[in-house]
Amino acid sequence: MSARAAILARLKCPAPIASEAAALLRAPERPAVDVTNLESEFLARLALPSVNASHDVVASLTDLPAAIARYLADQNEPLTLCCPPDPRLDVCDWSAFALHATAAPDETATLAIARTAIAETGSLIFETSPTAPMLPNFLTLHHIVLLPVSAIAAHLEDAPLPGPQPRAHYWITGVSGTTDIEGTYVRGAHGPRFLHVILLRGELPHMAD
Amino acid sequence: MSSFTTRADAALADPILKIAVERTAGTAQAKRAIAIDAFPDFEAARTRAAAIKDHVIAHLGPYLEQFEASAIAAGAQVYWAQTADEACRIVIAICKAAGAKTVARSKSMLGEEIGLPHALEEAGIGRVETDLAEHIIQLADERPSHIIWPAMHKTSEQVSALFKAKHRTPHQEETIAAMAQSARRELRGAMLGADVGISGANFLIADSGAVCTVTNEGNAELSLVPPRVHIVTAGIEKIVPSMPHAIHMLRMLARSATGAALTQYTTFYTGPRRPGDRDGPEEMHIVLVDNGRTKMREEGLAEMLRCIRCGACMNHCVVFRQIGGHAYGGTYPGPMGAVLTPTLDGLAATRDLAHACTLNGMCQQVCPVKIPLPTLLRGWREKSWREGLEPTSMRAGLGLWAWVATRPALYRLGTAIAIRAIRLLGRKGWIARLPLAGGWTQYRDLPKPAAQSFMAQYHQEQRK
Amino acid sequence: MTKNVALFVTCLVDIMRPRIGFAAIRALESAGCDVVVPQGQTCCGQPALNSGDRDHAVALAKQTTAALEPYEAIIVPSGSCAGTIRCHYPELFEHDAAWLPRAQAVVAKTFEVMAYLDEVCGWQPDGVTLPATATYHDSCSGLRELGIKAQPRRLLDAIDGLSLTPLAGAETCCGFGGTFCVKYPAISNAIVGEKAAAIDATGADLLLAGDLGCLMNMAGKLHRDGSKVRAFHAIELIAGMGDGPAIGEEA
Ligand code: SF4
Repeated sequence: MSARAAILARLKCPAPIASEAAALLRAPERPAVDVTNLESEFLARLALPSVNASHDVVASLTDLPAAIARYLADQNEPLTLCCPPDPRLDVCDWSAFALHATAAPDETATLAIARTAIAETGSLIFETSPTAPMLPNFLTLHHIVLLPVSAIAAHLEDAPLPGPQPRAHYWITGVSGTTDIEGTYVRGAHGPRFLHVILLRGELPHMAD
Repeated sequence: MSSFTTRADAALADPILKIAVERTAGTAQAKRAIAIDAFPDFEAARTRAAAIKDHVIAHLGPYLEQFEASAIAAGAQVYWAQTADEACRIVIAICKAAGAKTVARSKSMLGEEIGLPHALEEAGIGRVETDLAEHIIQLADERPSHIIWPAMHKTSEQVSALFKAKHRTPHQEETIAAMAQSARRELRGAMLGADVGISGANFLIADSGAVCTVTNEGNAELSLVPPRVHIVTAGIEKIVPSMPHAIHMLRMLARSATGAALTQYTTFYTGPRRPGDRDGPEEMHIVLVDNGRTKMREEGLAEMLRCIRCGACMNHCVVFRQIGGHAYGGTYPGPMGAVLTPTLDGLAATRDLAHACTLNGMCQQVCPVKIPLPTLLRGWREKSWREGLEPTSMRAGLGLWAWVATRPALYRLGTAIAIRAIRLLGRKGWIARLPLAGGWTQYRDLPKPAAQSFMAQYHQEQRK
Repeated sequence: MTKNVALFVTCLVDIMRPRIGFAAIRALESAGCDVVVPQGQTCCGQPALNSGDRDHAVALAKQTTAALEPYEAIIVPSGSCAGTIRCHYPELFEHDAAWLPRAQAVVAKTFEVMAYLDEVCGWQPDGVTLPATATYHDSCSGLRELGIKAQPRRLLDAIDGLSLTPLAGAETCCGFGGTFCVKYPAISNAIVGEKAAAIDATGADLLLAGDLGCLMNMAGKLHRDGSKVRAFHAIELIAGMGDGPAIGEEA
């Protein structure tokens, strides 16, 4: 008998009833979020010591390069940026930047676009795709995230995409941190030491399928 | 192998261990308390979390098949292993087929449970532990002492010395931040150069085939995205029906473990790299491991399969706080370890663990999935008694006492004699040394009993 | 309304500190109860239960059930013995159709003494005076199996002159654990050592709790360490017997 058959033979049981599984999700206990004020709810969580992110606001996508330049200048970093191959960013004037298509092992700054963000936790939500690599977001020292204000949602249940799942769906809630030595919190363990969110008031063009 | 008592005594004699455990577990306990206070109705949330797990355990077979089908549809390969050895063999075979020279491992207690680090070594495959604590453990050639903070037993001074001896460009400054940077420098290249990334799973999502990992360091993603092959080893109890179920469990896990609302990095991996993707592994292999879990389900330990490995029970355990994790002698320490280890290593060798507990109930009170840990430990005590594993002196002593205690008249006589005998040893109300109760009087004084038992005094008064 | 209640003395109180039993009777009587002490009682069986000796635990549970079932209520001056009856007897008789209902009937009318006085009788000590500061340790079984936390504090608050000082880690186990403290004396000692230090740090004159086992453990450690803190079962103070000898003091 295969291991599979042997294990399943010991786990003979009725198939779960979908309504039973669904009933377990009715009115979940979760932190209250003021849905009429998602932006400030989100920003409040973003500022918590556990998330520890900074933020800025731009009116339109064309203001993005200036906002990034401002942030990097504040951080005393050069104007180099690992930029995802996302056509929506083509409207921006990147002439002031040295752009990288792929991230170096010690990349200084990387830009990513969050699909949505969650006010409950201050999480930024991403998926992998041909225009959205994953690794640069973890290699970089400064993770800069563009987030349309209109995309902020209330609870973690709003994060997943319906239907078939992308290769990776991931939530970023702060910077890479560790408490592995004496429980002392240190930021920048392996990945980003800084998380900077740039809120976009205007609309982000839709992705052409 | 040394006995539990020997290991516990050694731990108690180590003042540094006590400081180290207190620093981390104490902080975790305080932070959890704040997080739970701020959460609306954590009690109801615990009940729900337990119900979700019970639902899964009741339908585990069908959910595993659903997960398998979804994962395969997403392009992953799924394997089943009944034992630790079988699981390791599967992982090694995948590594060999991939021509792997080095693997990057993201902390997984299941990996520790099945002895994967050792198996990789034996197979001649280089292993890089990427979680900071596991990296410390690897350098020190030790075993984890906690399921969330494997290097909890080490002070910063000890870590500093270790890094200075083993890192190529160690830290100069004596701060914990500088030490973490030293590890970052050391590990970054190793992670990017690995052929295979190996992780555990915090949750397996049945309806999508996704594997969820959570970390605060981001080392899982850095270990699993660059290599050509991603291998997951997961206990079969890690299943949840769907994403919203996982979300409820994630809320419980982070708060119970570290007091955070969520881990910094929470990732759901569904299959290997898709056409056009810029990164991600070309192959994803998922090994579903039983290793005693079906047996636990059959033999009265189904509730233990609810465990989400948050570590709250050990952080709040008075015994763990005194002796740390290594004294428990198994992969899993603390209350949950005392329940799990007899299943994994056999009761005869581990019966001490069930007794090394005051049954104070704190672990059950903090457990996010309401596992009745004291009841399960009492269950091991009963099994040990039934199987004759308890010491003869204990059996004889308790037997005699119970024989007398079930005969009230004789019992009254016995207590009168005992009281008289014990009182002979007392001075000024206290007894400093009592034969047969050396365990008590070695460390504390025993109050001298009253001249007559309650029953004797009460009857005299009644007769008046 | 007078209630006929049975006192389940507990084996430890019977042998080590009878005045706890007499204090319980005194308080219950002043709350309007008629108290009897059933003859058939010895020990609730907890030592056997917690040692894994199920057969003897069942034998003692049967004896105790039979001895206590004729009464209107059963009052226990120990959270852990009351907890054994209330939480564990039904488990012991889970598969025994004859004894389960009998045990359940006893379970339904078994109370820890301070919970009974406070919650069922709505009684408070009246005219009891004791000028002292005290700190209270919440014994684990009473706290977690029976929810005893506010009741003793409410009763103690009614004592004139007594002030309660909070104990850091009041809900943390003292390391007694029944046979645990003699099976693993070194671990138990480390735990009770910390507890004793926390008690001393309160600066209170008195240590109070609701379980004699824990009290003997803490008082024994405090005495070995040379502390001046005196230990009583809270019911002794509540019954107006706080002016007598503390644990380990000669009468
Ligand atoms: S037994 Fe409960 S508290 Fe302990 S690790 Fe498992 S889930 Fe967490």
